Amino acid sequence: MASADKLINTDVPEKDVFALHFLRSLSNLRTQNPLNSPDKSIDRVRKIKKAAYVSMARAAGGNSRLWSRALLRRAAKDDNKSVRFSRRKRKVTWKISSKRRRSNQRAPVVEEAAERLRNLVPGGGGMETSKLMEETAHYIKCLSMQVKVMQCLVDGLSQK
Amino acid sequence: MSSRRSSRSRQSGSSRISDDQISDLVSKLQHLIPELRRRRSDKVSASKVLQETCNYIRNLHREVDDLSDRLSELLASTDDNSAEAAIIRSLLNY
Repeated sequence: MASADKLINTDVPEKDVFALHFLRSLSNLRTQNPLNSPDKSIDRVRKIKKAAYVSMARAAGGNSRLWSRALLRRAAKDDNKSVRFSRRKRKVTWKISSKRRRSNQRAPVVEEAAERLRNLVPGGGGMETSKLMEETAHYIKCLSMQVKVMQCLVDGLSQK
Repeated sequence: MSSRRSSRSRQSGSSRISDDQISDLVSKLQHLIPELRRRRSDKVSASKVLQETCNYIRNLHREVDDLSDRLSELLASTDDNSAEAAIIRSLLNY
């Protein structure tokens, strides 16, 4: 990325890309655990919700965006909860230390609002403010695509 | 693992994002948020935009929660309310 003319791209794929990923993810939910039928509704909901976020991150470009990368890492970490040695090793993250990040501070009132935003956007904690805003724009677009896809599915299933 | 991402942040002095690009991003965000899109004037402050962005994201998260809930119910239900619903359910292995 050249420093002089940074291209800020917040384009997202078409809705059908999101739909395809989500549908695939949903259908996999049932084939993954044939012995373990998730009868408890709360488990079902949790799995569907996770499938929604993971498939959204994949549709959005997987590892090519910071937020989707962070989301997928978080999801993978959840799956590997039983791995114990991860506690001893100091994991290498690509978070910028807050000291370095602060070198690009904007007005304090903006930074305050940005801090709240950091907690909402996956991976936001390590992002410098302008990068955070770019990632946020992309994240919002993808989230609303995902919501549209899910709404369509709900509508299709509720048809009389 | 994946390679380090760009070291823009380390060269804090030399590769600053210009203020123009910041205000461009702010207006981009403003345009995305339904609440603020109505007020097309540029009088909305950056911190207000960020604030509304937080609210909007929280709403979207809540919508995903609700829709996941409804989907779970609908997929598990065995009411044959329509052929379309039955088809969708069978496609998804329910």
